[in-house]
This record gives sequence, structure tokens and C-alpha cells, in this order.
Amino acid sequence: MGTARVVFDRWDGRYAHRMAQVRSSAVRDLFAAASRPDMISFAGGMPEVSRVPAEAAATAAYEAVMHEGSCALQYGSSEGRPALRAEIVDLMAEIGVRLSADDIVVTAGAQQGLDLLAKTFLDPGDVVITEGPTYVGALQAFSAYEPDIVCVPMDDGGMRVDELEAELERLGPRGAKFIYTIPNFQNPAGVTLRPDRRRRLLELAREYDIPVIEDDPYGRLRFEGGHVKPLRALDDEVIYLGTFSKIFAPGLRLGWMTAPAPILAKVLLAKQAADLCGSAFAQVTAERYFAGTRWRRVLQGLTRTYAERRNAMLCALEEHFPPEVRWTRPEGGFFVWVELPSFIDAGALLAEAVEHGVTFVPGSAFYPDGRGRNCMRLAFCYAEPEAITEGITRLAEVIEDRLELYRAFIAAGALPAAAEGVA
Amino acid sequence: MREKIAVLMGGRSLEREISLASGKRVCEALTELGYRVLALDVTPELVQTLRDERPDACYIALHGKYGEDGTIQELLEFLGIPYTGPGVTASALAWDKSVAKRLFAGAGIPTPPWITLTADAFKEMGAATALDLVPESVGGFPVVVKPSKQGSALGLARVEAPEALPEALLAALSYGEAALVEKWIDGPELAVSVLDGPDGEPMVLPPVEIVAKSGLFDFSAMYTAGETDYYVPARLAAEVSEEVVRLARAVHELLGCRDVSRVDMVVGGDGIPYVLESNTSPGMTDISLLPMAARAADMTFQDVVERIVQAALARRA
Repeated sequence: MGTARVVFDRWDGRYAHRMAQVRSSAVRDLFAAASRPDMISFAGGMPEVSRVPAEAAATAAYEAVMHEGSCALQYGSSEGRPALRAEIVDLMAEIGVRLSADDIVVTAGAQQGLDLLAKTFLDPGDVVITEGPTYVGALQAFSAYEPDIVCVPMDDGGMRVDELEAELERLGPRGAKFIYTIPNFQNPAGVTLRPDRRRRLLELAREYDIPVIEDDPYGRLRFEGGHVKPLRALDDEVIYLGTFSKIFAPGLRLGWMTAPAPILAKVLLAKQAADLCGSAFAQVTAERYFAGTRWRRVLQGLTRTYAERRNAMLCALEEHFPPEVRWTRPEGGFFVWVELPSFIDAGALLAEAVEHGVTFVPGSAFYPDGRGRNCMRLAFCYAEPEAITEGITRLAEVIEDRLELYRAFIAAGALPAAAEGVA
Repeated sequence: MREKIAVLMGGRSLEREISLASGKRVCEALTELGYRVLALDVTPELVQTLRDERPDACYIALHGKYGEDGTIQELLEFLGIPYTGPGVTASALAWDKSVAKRLFAGAGIPTPPWITLTADAFKEMGAATALDLVPESVGGFPVVVKPSKQGSALGLARVEAPEALPEALLAALSYGEAALVEKWIDGPELAVSVLDGPDGEPMVLPPVEIVAKSGLFDFSAMYTAGETDYYVPARLAAEVSEEVVRLARAVHELLGCRDVSRVDMVVGGDGIPYVLESNTSPGMTDISLLPMAARAADMTFQDVVERIVQAALARRA
């Protein structure tokens, strides 16, 4: 039996100013804790690691210690092991990016890349351009360095480059330290940046002389449609972040960064300060896993699984969600972004949803400024199709209840019917 | 060591964060005063913890639903633990702004004209067809739309024109079953704290005048440093000031409050102070309105906490 005791932070008031910027959402913390046994979670974007062949992973880890222990258990080089970087060179070649191992730094997940880039580029008050909404982990990583984060809206074709242009015009040349984008199956919106917009974004970045950070964790998780070339394949100056979390396992904390040599040199210094070098053990394990496993087949199976779950979610949304609600239709990745009528506060809705046994992340978490209150992110990656259908049904009931009131206003002519779903 | 006091805070309310800040500050003050202090979150383990720990009294540092609406008060009565602040009835009356305003009006206490509309009235009875009557009922725009039961001004909006009314009502009704549409009174906003003396006689602390830079003292203005200016005591003419003090005491007594309450008012262009609402669990952070008022009356934060907790201890069976 637990207790209701509260333990205060006795060091409160002594932390650096920057830590005040990186607050987690109170509402989320509150309801993350609340749980019932049959809770269906659309909250976390967690890969289905149960599909990673355990034998193969175990063998790789075993061999890492038994056959290469002198390296795997030792400090390594800051940029990462040559063999793993060679593997990354091959992975990148497959998506149209030609690199040499020297162009790559292995990081502790792409997340470390975000932190190191922010550390390298940002002084307090600097401007950063991101999509709005954007990855909550990027907001956290950037916020610690106290920038002004400017969000550019998206539609089904990804970042609105016309809006980006307007923003850049306002900010002027070098008016922002970098543009951060997740072009494939964006987290949280699920949309993909259109090829013509990729080119336009790069033109604008060149014109205004602002570096572009391309974060691409989901690029290989495409369910349908053709591969879209990454920004890095179109422009050598793009800083690219990749990860093993979705093609192997997030537990290894392995990702990589490629960037122009001077930037990479600075990042490497930042990384040395952060952790000297990444985990050699994880790197050797990954090398062995990739060498000794038909990992592409595993990834294909995994992608099929995510596709089934995406289908289950889109079907359930179609069937159960009220017509006033809009959502995106991702061609890959993990997430669907849902937009509710503007008066519905997804944070308040979450309280009710939790009572009905379903959770999600309220949209305001993905903005630096409290926008997105009427939105939510639904992750379809981690629940079985049946659970997804049940979860969406539960969520629909909660939303329906709110909408009954909305419809009464429309029926009475107090609100224009044309305003449905537009937020 | 003095008595054991359990400070109740947090809970699953939208005002959790603020309550934790209040609770922390109260705990510090109680510790400095020599009490044995137990900081408790409102979780499913609360009752068991209270039964195990058997505190001499509970200090209610909860804000919002459950903490301020009579729920926790009723529970503590059942458990036989004395607690700080107004009792069940006063809490429930003050928490429901629509009920409280009816009582004010009935007792001749000025309160801005208003109407109350429930979600059911819209859903089941077609109340949305009567929104054209709103301006006449409350005396024209602008109006304030707010949930009937919600603290910290969540879901509150100032509405300038009829077109914006439905959206504001929907927003307010997303926080609860009923919403108030109240005539906007332009003038200085006041927070008037009432603290019972050791003899049980209410003492009105110097009114605090609130000037929100955005013109609306909403959730963000309330909790964001620099967005609001405060004047203590409020810059009021002597006769207005007297009336404010009289009204604060009248509201405290009318609702049956004890120990502490905070009455929020606005002074109209006619010089009349209008009562907006009464809070039975006022914020207790260093930048909260009650501690601010107490300082102006030469009372420290500790003095306030000591007086409130002594009142609760005096109610021990």
C-alpha cells in the first residue's frame, strides 16, 4: 500500500534559470500516473520491440563481450566506432545520401544529436524555426538553451513553405540559428513534407543562410507510396539525424548525425563534454546484429505490423469519431494528429478519457506556447488492432459527449454549421 | 514539539500545481512554527494515511474541485479530523458562483447582473435559441463568461459582442455543467481577505488592488510574474474602502465562512463595489493575494498560518 505523502524538492530555488524553461506538462504527469488495468494507451511512441529477434540480439550482445570485450567494455572514440559508421554509410546510401565514415558522429539516440546541436548553436534569445506542432523532445532539448521558438504551420503536405518564407522575411538573413524539420511522417502530425516543398525549403534556407536540421527517425517505416528523398540527399549542407531506435531497438540508445565538417567538429567537442564517447558495448552489439541478422526482413515485418495498426486506427476513427473532428492520414511512422473543434480543451478531455480507460497526449505539449489545446496526438504503434478499435471507441464517446452541446448551439442557429471542425 | 498537522495539497484538480506551491509554503511556515508537519497529496491512499498518522488537524491547501467544494471537508468531518477553513456548507455555497450570487443578491450585497446557463438547458431544452435575450438580461456587452464552479479563472473569457458568446459558453461549459454570463464592470478589481480573530470575530485585511496588463485577470495573468500589478492597500476613496470592508465581512458571514476567506470584488464607475465571488481556500504562495494583504497589516506569513491552524485545533472534540 502506498502513502499519500508529498516529498518536496528542498533544492528548489537553487536551479539554473534554464531549467525553468524545460517543464514537463502538469496535466500529462498527472494522468500518466493514473492508470487502470485495461488502460489503452495512445500516448507513447514506443516501437514494438517484442518483434526484435531476441536470440539474434542476445547473440550480438554475447559476442560483443566474449569476442570483442577489449573494445566493447572499453572507452571508444568520440565519433563512434568505424565499423558502425561504415554500416551507417550503407544505410544512408540506400536513401540516396553518399557519405564517408568521417561525415558521421554516432550519438546516444538522435535525441543526443538534438541536444548537442542546440548546445552548439544556441545562445539565450536566439530564434529557432520548427514545425508547429513539433516533436516534444526537440522542444525540451532546445528549451534548455533558452531560444525563441517560432512554429511554422503544416498541412497535409508538411511544413507550409509559404508561411516559412513569410517568417524568414520577417526575421531576415541569418535571422534564425536553424530550421528544424521532421520531413517524414512527422511527430506528432504524421504528415510528410512534399518533394516540391523540400526543394523550396532548401532554397529558402540557402537564400536566408540558415542551417537545416533534418530529423528522420521514421523514414524507413513507410506503409505505402514511394520513397521521398531526404533533404540531405538534395543538399550537402543539411544536418541529418538518424536513429537505430526504429530499425533495431531504442534500448541501445544509438543514433547518428551527419553535418558539414566544421559543424561536426564543434558537435564532437560538445559530445566529449557530454559523455566522452558513446557506449562501445551498444555499438559493437549493433554492428554484430546488423552483420548477423536479416534485419531488413525484421523491419519489413515490423512495418507491416505498424501498417495494420495504422489501418485499424484510421478505420476506427472513420467509424466512431464525430464528423466535426479532423485527423491526418499518415503513410508511415507512428502517429495520427487529431484536431477537435476549437472550444474543446484536449487537456480537460484527457481527464475524462483516462476515466474511460484510454490515454493520449494533448496537443499543447507539441507547441512551445500553449497552442494546440484543441488537438491530440494518437500513437498507433504500440497497441494491437483490437485494442486500438476499443480505445478509439472509448475516446469517441468522450468526444461525443462534448459535441452534443456544440450541436445544440448549431441546431439553434447560435453557431454557423460551416464552422464545424475548423479550428 | 507542537501538534501534528497534515497539510493536504495537490489532488487531481486543474489547480494542482498551484496547490502544491501553496502546500509547500504552508509546510515551511508550520515547521518554522514548531509543528510536526505531514505533507499529503490527495491520492487514493489519503484516507489510510490519515488513519495511520492520526494528525491533530488538517490544513487544507487544496484549490479547486474536491478541495474547495466541500468534498474534502465532508470527508474530514466523517473521519473526525478538524480542518482549517470554512466548513462543508460554506465551501459548497461559495464554490458554486451561481448559488453564491443568488445569496448575495438576496442579502442586498451588490453583485453584477448575470444569468446562469447549464449544459442540460442547451442540450435538452434548446436554450441556445434564447441567446439573443442575454444582453437585455445582464445589461449589455461586454460580459464575462465563466464556469460556475471553477477556481483560478480557468475557462474565463471576456466577450465584447453577441457573435462571440456561443464559443465562450462552450469553452466555459467544457469545465463544468453550468456557465455564468455576467455583466463586465469596468474598474479596479479587488481581492479582500478575511481572517477570523482568535475570538472568532472576522477581521478584514487591507484590500489588494489588481491591475492585469492584458485587462483580464485570467489564469495566465494570475500566475505569470510581471503580467499583473498589485496595489496594497488598494487605491480607494475612504468611503469606498469602508464599504469594501463592510461587504467583505458581510459575504464572509452570509456564506457561513470561518477562519479565512477571500472576497473578490470590482469597483464600478459609480463607486459601488460589486462582489464577484468568495474563495474558501485562497492561494498561499508568497505571491498570493492573502499573504500580500497580511503583510500590509503587519502580519507575517507565519502569523496567518498560525492563526488559521489554531482555529482548526480549537475545534478538536
